[in-house]
This record gives sequence, structure tokens and C-alpha cells, in this order.
Amino acid sequence: MNTVSNHPDPAAPPGSGGTSASSQTRLDHARADRVRLAQLTGALSRRRVLGTGFALGVGSLLAACGGSQAGVSADPTGPAQRGGNLRVGLTGGGASDSLDAHVPVNTTDIARVVNLYEPLLYRDENFELQPLLATKIEPSTDAKVWTATLREGVKFHDGRPLTGDDVAATFKRITDPDDPKSGAASLGILDEVVVVDEHSVEFRLKSPSAAFDDTLGQYSLGVVPADYDPANPVGTGPFRFKSFTGGQQSVFARNEHYWRENEPYLDELTILNFDDNDALINALLSTQVDAIGQIPLALIEVIDADPRISILNAETGSWIPFTMRVDKAPFDDNRVRQAFRLAVDREQMIQQVFSGQGTVANDLYARYDPGYAADLPQRVQDIPKAKQLLADAGYPDGIDVELVTAPIQSGAVEAAQVFAQQAADAGIRVRIRRVDATEFFGENYLQWDFAQDFYYTRNFLPQVSSSTLKDSPFNETHWDHPEFNKLIEKAVATIDDDERNDLIAQAQTIEYEEGGYIVWGFSNQADAYQRYVAGLVPNRTGLALSGFEFRRVWLGGEK
Amino acid sequence: MLLRLITRRLLISIVILLLVSILVFVATLLLPGDPAQAILGQQATPERLAALREQMNLNDPVWQRYLSWLGGLFVGDFGTSTANGSSVAALLSSRIGASLVLMVLAAVIAIPVGVLVGSYSALRRGRTGDHVVTGLSLVLAALPEFVVGIALITLFSTTVFTVLPSVTMAPPGEAVWAYPSQLILPTVTLVLVVSPYIVRMMRATMIEVLDSGYVEMARLKGVPERQVILRHAVPHALAPVAQVVAIQLAWLAGGIVVVEFLFRYPGVGQALVDAVANRDIQVVQTLSMLVAAVYVVVNLLADIVGILTNPKLRTEVSR
Repeated sequence: MNTVSNHPDPAAPPGSGGTSASSQTRLDHARADRVRLAQLTGALSRRRVLGTGFALGVGSLLAACGGSQAGVSADPTGPAQRGGNLRVGLTGGGASDSLDAHVPVNTTDIARVVNLYEPLLYRDENFELQPLLATKIEPSTDAKVWTATLREGVKFHDGRPLTGDDVAATFKRITDPDDPKSGAASLGILDEVVVVDEHSVEFRLKSPSAAFDDTLGQYSLGVVPADYDPANPVGTGPFRFKSFTGGQQSVFARNEHYWRENEPYLDELTILNFDDNDALINALLSTQVDAIGQIPLALIEVIDADPRISILNAETGSWIPFTMRVDKAPFDDNRVRQAFRLAVDREQMIQQVFSGQGTVANDLYARYDPGYAADLPQRVQDIPKAKQLLADAGYPDGIDVELVTAPIQSGAVEAAQVFAQQAADAGIRVRIRRVDATEFFGENYLQWDFAQDFYYTRNFLPQVSSSTLKDSPFNETHWDHPEFNKLIEKAVATIDDDERNDLIAQAQTIEYEEGGYIVWGFSNQADAYQRYVAGLVPNRTGLALSGFEFRRVWLGGEK
Repeated sequence: MLLRLITRRLLISIVILLLVSILVFVATLLLPGDPAQAILGQQATPERLAALREQMNLNDPVWQRYLSWLGGLFVGDFGTSTANGSSVAALLSSRIGASLVLMVLAAVIAIPVGVLVGSYSALRRGRTGDHVVTGLSLVLAALPEFVVGIALITLFSTTVFTVLPSVTMAPPGEAVWAYPSQLILPTVTLVLVVSPYIVRMMRATMIEVLDSGYVEMARLKGVPERQVILRHAVPHALAPVAQVVAIQLAWLAGGIVVVEFLFRYPGVGQALVDAVANRDIQVVQTLSMLVAAVYVVVNLLADIVGILTNPKLRTEVSR
């Protein structure tokens, strides 16, 4: 459920939306959520940090002094048990929360959408594309028509069966030109959806796309009935709507018509909005909620010390790159970009920014893509070489730059600070300009010379169409490399996996040598839950709590 | 005469509130980004932005949006929230109620406790009890509310004893007081934050009064000590304390934000932070006006108490 893909369509006119196939993935939603969260907490951030630290500090101190730990229970074992209400706490929502299947904006929206609705395909915990409402989806030989076979026996929450007409209506609603929904940007390549029969539909594309199925795996493309009205949120998901108050809480009940056997195990699912990490963690520690999403990485060890609590620590493909505009001085000189990349001590970044909870990266994204160029040598800090490159580029006395940062994702501002320190050794004098998240994503977004951004796990082609082609919607680095473009154009139309992966590896080599991103690491995604909660597994997508797949969760033992 | 004074103060208050409304409006406009941008955040494609702006009437001129909001105020219409399209009044009514419950509870406990403890401390001047009270109130006054709140949570709900809920989880639509246990920690936090000032002020003025000529005179005349304190000392000590109480109550109206945040309390604080993040001007406006109004009213009341308890002021007024 997550990634999008949508491949750039070089033939389409610019601005058609399909061109760059702006992959709007959950990434973007989640990022929007980050914006919101950052806004919420920006004003209170220092207090928050102090507060959490203080709370946990005092807490562990008191615990060490022999405080009683009541209700310690073992991990649940044996077969899954039916029943119970799972209470999930999440930050990031607000008054603008929505239940609309096709406009999830923040984390809590995503958690709701994933449990109410289902797209045709989704990304599982290993970041593999898996069938969901479609049992299979296959391209024509020219990759211009994709035929989806719908799963039989799927019913909506109100008992009506899922049909091809519903699928067609869903995509019509999403791509409505007067009111485009979140997924529309990545569906620019889609010409029309044709119902073949009750159980199959054809996606006819404006131009070939060998990985169009990746696009269909977005959580914001949940299939809804033809007469869908968000006021009556009906889908095929494991849970059905019961009550909802934006910014506060939503209650969902088990979908009795669900097509998977036995699932979901829970009778009820309650999703609670929190404004603040302190309150969120306190609610878990006082057993008022059963699971919380996204805890600060620095707090993993402290929270894990509580015997009642388990941590879900997942490696992901999420990255917070530094973005250098390759079309503007000084970054239009590749030697400068290389010098900046060589100035970074990636290991130290992971340690200081993610508290060690992450993986060193190699200026490349899409680590889980089958075509990922893992054999390129790992770039490490090399101060003499960085100085030399700067001198060659005309900066023998070092260089002054302004780095724009904002709390767009936890770790972003810290990363900027650590970078400023590391780069100083290479004669790079960084002046940090900190703005609030709304300003960061405001008018100047994508125009900053040297800034940061944030992406969740995606495969290579969807990421490229989103951020590294001339007309990509999020091309922060203003990257437009003719050879690179040609490779991507070819890869998009190549159905053979090996051939395509080879093209992808070539494209990555170009980025590795000349790109405008400094990709220094992939962060982990950590959640916490009570021991009696079972069925949560690490998930690579970057979405919290097993990608919000609460259909698999059950409650064990006494609660 | 008193009436004239109050009328004048009321008129001034209205002017102040008007100025506040303009200030807040301008301030929200100065924040980078508009509501549509804030809601969509990073996923704001030009198409989606345009659609949302149209839905939100953001294409109207700024002054027109301000005037229509102000005009609405006079007929009791607070406008529509841009964040979720419902009326601001509906959005805020339950939150205002919830915050009021918390404020009133805190005030009802903190004021008598502060006055009593302060008087006790003054009467025990220099002795152990006084030292303890003075020390404690100094420490508490120095601690920000979130530290007090977190210490209480750690002590009573998460780590040492797990007897009280740490956050409010009342289902939306149900009254917060339907779950009294969830009110305890936020209330105690506010009481602990607000009382020290009252205690210290009460102690100081009480000591001053006790040292004054008329108390000495009363004592010399053989008036029983209890009567000296209750009849002569306390009433005279109260006037300055009323000012402090007023400031503290006014502080509650705004300072409650942090406490509500910490305890996930569904009050105006949460709504305000959310509204600022969403650039939801109508809601920010309404809440700012509300907080400003509380300040104005509470200060007005404090003045009246001051006038009533101080004969000198009373005569000056009626001069």
C-alpha cells in the first residue's frame, strides 16, 4: 500500500499531470501529515522535547527506585483469539481529518483509510506488491493496457458485491478534473477504465508503462461503491465505519462481510488522535491505549525498558535527503556537489540523528527496488578530497552556503545541524535558516537552493517520476539529465524485469556520480505496543504499526 | 458612580476586543501559507489547491472575509471553519465548555486554598510551617506547568502508581465530567501552578496588615485574636490578592493550552493549536477574542472587588 508508481510519460505535454506522473504517494500524505505535526509541535517543540525527556527520566528514576510495575503480561502465544477493542494512539491528525477514501492527508487519515477501504493491489510488509481486490493484473504486450481480474466474493460493508462498475466509478471519482483527489496526480497516464465484465476491468493508458501496477498499489486508491458518498463511508476493508470525530477519535467495527477468512480478529478498532508525543507515550504507559505509532527513535531504549511494552522497530526506505539545486550556483558545478557529499560522515549522521536506528545510504534512494545498484562503492567522508574538489571548482578558501531546514520530519533539523558541523571541516561554512513547516512547503518549496526533503519507501521508477525528471512534481534539485531521462524513458516501457533493472542500475550510476541529493541514511520506523497485542510485524513501507494492517491484530491474555 | 466607571471600562473593553480581532486577523495573514496550503501540505498540487481554495472561499478579498466574519459576530454567527467546513460555534461549543469546567474547577480549589495557606503562613511567620510553605510555593512558582503535569503523571499514572488516567479519553460528544477521574490530574496541575502566586501574595499582604496600626489597636483593645484576623486583617488583605487572582484566572484562559496538550484534554487549547496549524482564521479569531474577553472581564471584576474592599478607592470613585 504505498508506493505509487506511475511512470513518466515523455510524450505527454508538460503540465498534463501525466508527464511527470507525479507520483503522489502516501509518502506525500504522510509528509503532509508531517507538516501538520510539525506545525502543531513547532511552537511547543522545545517544551515537548524537554517534557518527554523529563517524563521518561523521572519515570525510569522512580522505576529504578522500586516503583511497582503492575500488570506485566507475557507475549501472547497460540492461535489468534477473536474479540476485543484495539485502541490505537496516533499523532498528526486535526480538525481537517477526513474519512474520504481518496483524500487521506495525514497519518490518522491513512490509518482510517487503510482499514475502511482496499485498493486493487497493495505493498506488504516486505515491500512486495501483493494482490488485494484484484487477484491479478497483467499488461498487454505493449504495456498500454492493463487488465485487472477482480477477486470474487468481495462484498462492501453494506453487503453489496464488488463489481467492475464500482472500480470504474472509483477511478472516475479520483481523476475528476474539477476536483482531483490525492491519487490523481499519479494517474495522469491513465486514459480510461473500461469494464470488461462483472469481474474484470481494463486500464487503458495514454502511453506504455511497464510498472503501472505499482501505481495501483496506493492506499489512496481504495475501491468504493459507484454511489459512494464520504458521509456514508462504505468500502470493502476489514472494518466498517461506526463513529468519527475529526481530530479526536474514530471507532470502527468488524466487517462481518470481510472476504478473508477469520480476519479481522478484533470486534472494534478505535483510533485516537493525539497532538503531542508526551501525551501519546503517557497514554500507552498508563494502559489507556494498546498501541501507539511513531515514537521518537531516541526513546526506543527507554520505552523498551518497561516490561509491559514491546517495541516494533522496522527498517524502512524512508529518507531525508539534502537537496542541492543542480541548475544554480554553486551547485551547478558537479565538483561542489561531490564535495558536499564527501563532507558527510554518514555513520555519525545515523548515530546522532537517528540514535543509531537507521541504515547508512549511498546517495541513492529506493533501497528495496530489485534494480537497486547495491554494488556501487559506499561513499564515505573524505575531507581532503572534498577540499580539493572545492578548490578545483574555484573555492580554495572554502564556501558559504545557506541551508534551509524545517521540522518536516523527525530528524530533519538535527540532520541539518550535524551536517553543518561535519561540513565545516571541509571548509563548507553552513548558515542554517530554520523556518516552520508550512513556510518550508509554502511558496518557496522546490525553489530553495540548498534544503531538505522527506520521502517514505518507494521503488525507483515511482520515486523518479515524482522527484527526478524535468516535470516531476517534486523535483527539488531541478535535475534534468538527458542521458538519465533517456534511460528512464526506456525503463518505463521495458516489460522484461532483468532488462529494466539493468537500465535502472545505469540510471542510478548517473545519480551516484552527479545527482543533486545527499542521501545519507534510511531511518527506522518505531512503534510501541502493549505486550498483549499480537499480530504486528515490522513493515518496510514506513507507515506506522505494520502499515496499519489491523486486520491481523489480536489481543491475547488478560487485558 | 460605580456604574459609570463600569460602563466606561466596558466601552474601552469593546474597543480593545476590536483591536485584538484586527491584530489577530493580520497576524494569521502574515503566517506563510494559506488554509488550503496548510491542509494539503506537501501534496498540494496546483489542481488540488485551486479546487480547495474555491471550496473555502479563499478567493474573496481579505477585507471582505474579515468584515463578513465581524458582521457575523454581531448576530452570533462565528463563521465556518475552513478546516472542516462545519460552523465554528458547533466546533467550539463543547471545547469551550470543557475548558471552562477545568478552569472553574481549578479556580474554585486554588483560590480558597491559596488564601488559607497564605494566611496560615503569615500567621506562622518565621516558623517551620511558614518556611515549608514559602519554599514549596517558590519551587512550584518556578516550575512550568508541563513539568508539574509530567511529574504528576509519572507519579500517579504511568510509573510509580498506575491509579489515575494520564490522558482524557472521553468519547467525543460525551461530557468530560462524565469521567471524573480524568479531570483529577489536569485540575491538580492547574491548581499547583496557580496557587503559589496567590499564597505568596496573601502571605505578603496579610503580614503587612498584621503589622498595621489598626490591627495593633484592635489587639490592644482586647479584641479576640480570631476576630482580629477574620474581621480586621483578612478583608483588608484581600484586595491586592484579588488582583493576583484575576491575573491568574486570566492566565488560566491562555495557559490552559499547555495543560490541555499534555493531558489530551478536548478543550480550546487543542483547538487553537490545531487552528493555527491549519491557518483556520475563523477559529483562531474566535478563540483569541474569547481569551481576550476573559482577560478583560476578569480584570474588570478584580477592579470592582478592589473598589468594594477598599474604602479609600470607593470614595475616590464617588468623588
